[in-house]
Amino acid sequence: MLLLPSPADGRGTAITHALTSASTLCRVEPVGRWFEAFVKRRNRNASASFQELEDKKELSEESEDEELQLEEFAMLKTLDPKDWKNQDHYAVLGLGHVRYKATQRQIKAAHKAMVLKHHPDKRKAAGEPIKEGDNDYFTCITKAYEMLSDPVKRRAFNSVDPTFDNSVPSKSEAKDNFFEVFSPVFERNSRWSNKKNVPKLGDMNSSFEDVDIFYSFWYNFDSWREFSYLDEEEKEKAECRDERRWIEKQNRATRAQRKKEEMNRIRTLVDNAYSCDPRIKKFKEEEKAKKEAEKKAKAEAKRKEQEAKEKQRQAELEAARLAKEKEEEEVRQQALLAKKEKDLQKKAIKKERQKLRNSCKTWNHFSDNEAERVKMMEEVEKLCDRLELASLQCLNETLTSCTKEVGKAALEKQIEEINEQIRKEKEEAEAHMRQASKNTEKSAGGGGNGSKNWSEDDLQLLIKAVNLFPAGTNSRWEVIANYMNIHSSSGVKRTAKDVIGKAKSLQKLDPHQKDDINKKAFDKFKKEHGVVPQADNAAPSERFEGPYTDFTPWTTEEQKLLEQALKTYPVNTPERWEKIAEAVPGRTKKDCMKRYKELVEMVKAKKAAQEQVLNASRAKK
Amino acid sequence: MAAIGVHLGCTSACVAVYKDGRAGVVANDAGDRVTPAVVAYSENEEIVGLAAKQSRIRNISNTVMKVKQILGRSSNDPQAQKYITESKCLVIEKNGKLRYEIDTGEETRFVNPEDVVRLIFSKMKETAHSVLGSDANDVVITVPFDFGEKQKNALGEAARAAGFNVLRLIHEPSAALLAYGIGQDSPNGKSNILVFKLGGTSLSLSVMEVNSGIYRVLSTNTDDNIGGAHFTETLAQYLASEFQRSFKHDVKGNARAMMKLMNSAEVAKHSLSTLGSANCFLDSLYEGQDFDCNVSRARFELLCSPLFNKCIEAIRGLLDQSGFTADDINKVVLCGGSSRIPKLQQLIKDLFPAVELLNSIPPDEVIPIGAAIEAGILIGKENLLVEDSLMIECSARDILVKGVDESGASRFTVLFPSGTPLPARRQHTLQAPGSISSVCLELYESDGKNSAKEETKFAQVVLQDLDKKENGLRDILAVLTMKRDGSLHVTCTDQETGKCEAISIEVAS
Repeated sequence: MLLLPSPADGRGTAITHALTSASTLCRVEPVGRWFEAFVKRRNRNASASFQELEDKKELSEESEDEELQLEEFAMLKTLDPKDWKNQDHYAVLGLGHVRYKATQRQIKAAHKAMVLKHHPDKRKAAGEPIKEGDNDYFTCITKAYEMLSDPVKRRAFNSVDPTFDNSVPSKSEAKDNFFEVFSPVFERNSRWSNKKNVPKLGDMNSSFEDVDIFYSFWYNFDSWREFSYLDEEEKEKAECRDERRWIEKQNRATRAQRKKEEMNRIRTLVDNAYSCDPRIKKFKEEEKAKKEAEKKAKAEAKRKEQEAKEKQRQAELEAARLAKEKEEEEVRQQALLAKKEKDLQKKAIKKERQKLRNSCKTWNHFSDNEAERVKMMEEVEKLCDRLELASLQCLNETLTSCTKEVGKAALEKQIEEINEQIRKEKEEAEAHMRQASKNTEKSAGGGGNGSKNWSEDDLQLLIKAVNLFPAGTNSRWEVIANYMNIHSSSGVKRTAKDVIGKAKSLQKLDPHQKDDINKKAFDKFKKEHGVVPQADNAAPSERFEGPYTDFTPWTTEEQKLLEQALKTYPVNTPERWEKIAEAVPGRTKKDCMKRYKELVEMVKAKKAAQEQVLNASRAKK
Repeated sequence: MAAIGVHLGCTSACVAVYKDGRAGVVANDAGDRVTPAVVAYSENEEIVGLAAKQSRIRNISNTVMKVKQILGRSSNDPQAQKYITESKCLVIEKNGKLRYEIDTGEETRFVNPEDVVRLIFSKMKETAHSVLGSDANDVVITVPFDFGEKQKNALGEAARAAGFNVLRLIHEPSAALLAYGIGQDSPNGKSNILVFKLGGTSLSLSVMEVNSGIYRVLSTNTDDNIGGAHFTETLAQYLASEFQRSFKHDVKGNARAMMKLMNSAEVAKHSLSTLGSANCFLDSLYEGQDFDCNVSRARFELLCSPLFNKCIEAIRGLLDQSGFTADDINKVVLCGGSSRIPKLQQLIKDLFPAVELLNSIPPDEVIPIGAAIEAGILIGKENLLVEDSLMIECSARDILVKGVDESGASRFTVLFPSGTPLPARRQHTLQAPGSISSVCLELYESDGKNSAKEETKFAQVVLQDLDKKENGLRDILAVLTMKRDGSLHVTCTDQETGKCEAISIEVAS
């Protein structure tokens, strides 16, 4: 048992200091109905305990209201109870000044007060005259209470409150003083809203959001106003169900009509307000200005970007041009230098050759014999041709610095070396040639009975393909292989390489065999080395392009030999073409020369084409 | 409206339904109220429950047990690694997730732990539907307090895959409290409750605070080395040594014989909770030898006393850890099948002599019943639970009032306890002697233990000029209201005269 003491020092209510710690966050278990209640409460942003507090406050306010003075309705005693529909029930109960704001409690209290004052029994006692039955004005009070105490009926009466101003200001009225005109109208109409907290019209300085909320609220206005009070027929009066239904239908239709009118009224009001609202105008202008500014800024940015790009491009171009010029200059310089050097070297070599010849001459070519001398001269010429500048110089030095015998020995040694070298080169070339011819034979043999069987049909197809895609077709052999693969019935996949090999092997076959094969091919009996009549001049190779294909075409091996020979025998070799022809077996001097010219022409054409392409691309740039 | 509560334990699962305002456990098709959480895979079917558990003697490598221990864990989790080494069923890692490798003769299957749990949930759903009809799928599932987010997600997914509509996952200790309706009748007052859960493989203890009907876990502790399985193991070892003593055969190395002994020991253990002695009889346990042995409850208690002591030590440890003494605990809730053991209950009673031991509901059914009650609360509600609503403001300190008792000594009484969810209002009728004309309500704050120092006084409310009355007491109504930020509003009213005095105290910033 705890007892509260009396204050120790006689002081009154006081706070010594504030609470030291605020609330702490705790983790709780989401379990149980109290937790659910707590979360629900918190989500609604209301607390039970504080709700109760507020209720109490309201209670006390109401108790104050009870002391409110009732305003006696002067005409009360003259009212006709039969005409109750057109009476103002609030005024009857003496609540004419509070009207729809009156609480239920107030209405009850007012009714009580009126009854106490106007009840017929009381008045009888006071000696006042009383009308018979329902005709006394007291019936009006009863009716008024009946209407106002029932929330549904009261709402119906409130909806048609005779004191309510239904007017909507026109646009012209609000031209200059928008807020003064519309503010009270909206205030007035807001009482019909189902939702609490109706947004206010605000003033000129309201933010865009507020205005937006205001108009969206009013455009979606949810009104509780209804017009059942104005029903012409009363449902209760009906005698049977059918009549009741008919009345109901009638009433519903008129109510809907009135409701529609009401919604139209609100709509007109909001429309008028919206079109007159100076803030909307302002916002629109602002929006427009903003958009314009944005547009401008965008355009500006774009222009700037373009300028920057242009500048950069110019700079790049300039840099590229400078670099190119520089490069070209360098190349030119280098070429000049190289040319000079070459000239110098040439001169030196010429000089040295002359010197060698002279020294040989001075030594009388180390011989007395005429024939020997001629031979020596030839050898010396050869030396002159083949020796490098350095070795020539060296040789000359030995020749000038020492005696005839030593010189001769050195010269002869040199000559021998050169001859040896030439012989070796020749041998190598021959060996190479032999090897190459062997290879061709082999590959020809391999192509014939290679890993992939070439059926007769396939061979025919190949020949057809080769004719179909003549030399010069873009990636010709791939195309042919592809064609073969598509059209072949054998199902063997062939690559470009296979096809090339086969085409070449077909070409290698000797004419007799070819004839033989041809014959048999026509009879469609041959099994392995099938060939086609046109094969000899139709199946080509890349090397035989040109006008001279009617001669025996050049094989790759021959081509190689020719190239080697051209290198072995430089331009100033006496009887160069004879020697070259010798190096290429099976070819005459004429053949070789022709081929050479062809090649030269081809190379030239190629170069020209390349240059053209280069020029074109440069021009494009 | 009917709803389901499911508890999935390591060794067994149990389902309760909430129907017509009551929650009750449903027996499965075999007539058991608890279903073993064991899934056996054979060539063409998957068996859940008792049949699977009993057939593990022959099919051990394809029988998945204790799946809860691996659910939602990754291979680098130490607990998962421990499980993998202990499991008789092969567990491998595939695509970064743990899978069971099930070899059913024809083919090798890889089974997700989630799939295993799904099968168990399907079984529980079937069981619940046997009394509810097939359209009730709303369920609340319990999870241990130490379950992580991943494990909760895995469990929730498995339940959804089984066709449940998961209303919420709640913690096991909270469900146990809810099953006994603690704090549910009136949302006032504050109490501390110890939840003692001794399950199949683990002992988990929690100290909960119930304040205004809302539960909070103050501290919790889990020991994975004590559980029903360990009691069975101890008993089976004893039986094996008995067998060896009488037949000179060592069966401890024989896995199948040991498994038989385990089954027998479990049955014996269950009957020892109610009977004084139990008989173990096994036909041809080893080399054709039958085994018959009688175990008395005293023997069993002697064998398991180290384990019992461990449990009691764990309770003591948790109390120390949370700074409570045995007197601070108002109630003890027992749950988990093994807390049926009479000796254990006796030991706990000895530890908390003044405390009510709640064991009226069968301990292994407490948690599912709590879950079912929660499901009944939640059903039909728009379930808007978001994570941040779990954190709520609570008052930080006790608010006390100072008074004198009959002997005249100063005493404090708590008017507004710490940990009260805010906003909150507390109302107290205090008494004052009628002989004094003014009454003083001196308010103190303190962080616990009902004592306050003079300097913690933060306000006083004085009611003056009251009518004196001899030989009587006057009632003073004190209403304390605290807002979410912790500021306090105090109203004092003399009941007789209606004189009223109010103050508001802000929080020092």
